[in-house]
Amino acid sequence: MNFEELKDKLKRAFPEGVGYIEQHGCNFIDVDVSEFKAMLKYLRDECDFEYLSDVVAAHWPKRKEKFDVIYNLYSIKNKLRVFVRVKIESDAIETVTDLWKSAIFLEREQYDLVGVRFEGHPDLRRILMPEYFTGHPLRKDYPLKGRKWFNDVDEQNLGIHFSK
Amino acid sequence: MQNVEMKDINQERFSELITVNMGPQHPSTHGVLRLIVDLDGETIVDVRPDIGFLHRGVEKLAENRTYHQFIPLTDRLDYLSSLSNNLGYCLAVEKFFNVKIPERAEYLRVIFAELARIASHLVWIATHALDLGAMTVFIYAFREREYVLDLFEIATGQRMTSSWIRVGGIRDDVPEEFFKRLGEFVSILDERVDSYERLLTKNRIWLKRTKGVGYLSKEEALSYGVSGPIMRGSGIDFDLRRDEPYGIYDRFDFEVPVYEDGDVYARYLVRLKEIREANKIVKQAMEGIPEGPIMTDDPRVAYPSHEEVYEKMEALIRRFYIVSKGFKPPKGHTYACVEAPKGELGYYIISDGDAKPYRLKIRAPSFVNLGAISEMSKGYMLADLVAVIGSIDIVLGEIDR
Repeated sequence: MNFEELKDKLKRAFPEGVGYIEQHGCNFIDVDVSEFKAMLKYLRDECDFEYLSDVVAAHWPKRKEKFDVIYNLYSIKNKLRVFVRVKIESDAIETVTDLWKSAIFLEREQYDLVGVRFEGHPDLRRILMPEYFTGHPLRKDYPLKGRKWFNDVDEQNLGIHFSK
Repeated sequence: MQNVEMKDINQERFSELITVNMGPQHPSTHGVLRLIVDLDGETIVDVRPDIGFLHRGVEKLAENRTYHQFIPLTDRLDYLSSLSNNLGYCLAVEKFFNVKIPERAEYLRVIFAELARIASHLVWIATHALDLGAMTVFIYAFREREYVLDLFEIATGQRMTSSWIRVGGIRDDVPEEFFKRLGEFVSILDERVDSYERLLTKNRIWLKRTKGVGYLSKEEALSYGVSGPIMRGSGIDFDLRRDEPYGIYDRFDFEVPVYEDGDVYARYLVRLKEIREANKIVKQAMEGIPEGPIMTDDPRVAYPSHEEVYEKMEALIRRFYIVSKGFKPPKGHTYACVEAPKGELGYYIISDGDAKPYRLKIRAPSFVNLGAISEMSKGYMLADLVAVIGSIDIVLGEIDR
């Protein structure tokens, strides 16, 4: 199955509101947030996309939809890679950890760095930054200079003195 | 961090779970990996990795650098195979421009990516065997790795952080001495791998430590998204070099080793076979390599050569422009991935038409593979956890980014 055939199959299952783009050598499926989960489930169960390779989130502060969330799916049987792109207005989106367990780590990372909350995630904690860190460094409004290192308050009682 | 709780383990008896902290400063966690292990006696109930000690914010740094300036930072991800990282990143940027890479550069890229794979696997076998008590292999494998690093030094000037692959080609052509030394190396490598196999493959202690340990089923491997040798050790026949060929990998004849057992021993066999296959690819590439330019002449990305810059005003301006302002790819998203020694290494780049990436996401294979550590080590002894960590072959530079 190549991308054209997949498109036909998806058009039958999801007749409206889905965009198909081939750009820079990649296949993108733009889907609305209301049916992205159903789309991902359909792709996994009916189209053999059993491998979730990556989850990417990007922040667009000036746009109405503040975040892009991109799911990178691969079908080992069909040797096909597609990207499902979702635009969200708030910072919350439904988790896909019930479909792929690789999302546990990948969504945690995007939550930590970009600050998209994946609702229903079993263990949504920071992963790369320390737990007592505030803010999300990969947001575009995160200052590059003049920030404080950590909270002023030594929450964990580690005996660290924060300079002001 | 000690927390003790009562839990029903196997219905018959109540036992106390002990939480043990392993790392971040521990010789067999291969860097600064901290594991919080819940133990029932000596049996592992749960493992929770705590990572981020080496976080440098590479993805944020990328947003404030031009596309060329980011290449040295890719070296520092998986520092054991820096050339694979360079390659993956450059392929992603080249997708924006649809650049045609000269043949000689393509061949050299393949040779160096495979040499990086050999070097990385040699470090893996050395440290993995050392963790499990086989000291000799460590010394032998590092001897061969030193040979590969010498080859890198001859060609790129650097032993580890080479930054040699450029958008549109490679930085320099290799000197003549390189192919002579490379010929020597590929002719002895198979024999040397045989000698590691003689030390380990049928070694009774090695088999006891690795066979049946760290089992990961095919379904779980797919669900956890593991890639590379772990995936192939769990019976999934998938290799990006063959299934989604990038560069000129479709021209080479090589096998993808797949083992069904899904344990540490299977991953060991996969990696050893991969060293041999990588050697095979290097030999084929050495025979087929043509003469010619090593950098594309596409004016959008390529630096003009020094000769041109000294003679022509336009070339000087173009060089100055690319160095100071950088090149601007079209708007859009792209993704390119390579089969790095650890698995699928991908770069997802969002461009807003500026000379700097709007967002760059690195899909690090070790990071995703580490997510399955709890599944792999549940129900085994604490000492087996060391074998499992070794078999995942993590590099913390890549996990923490």
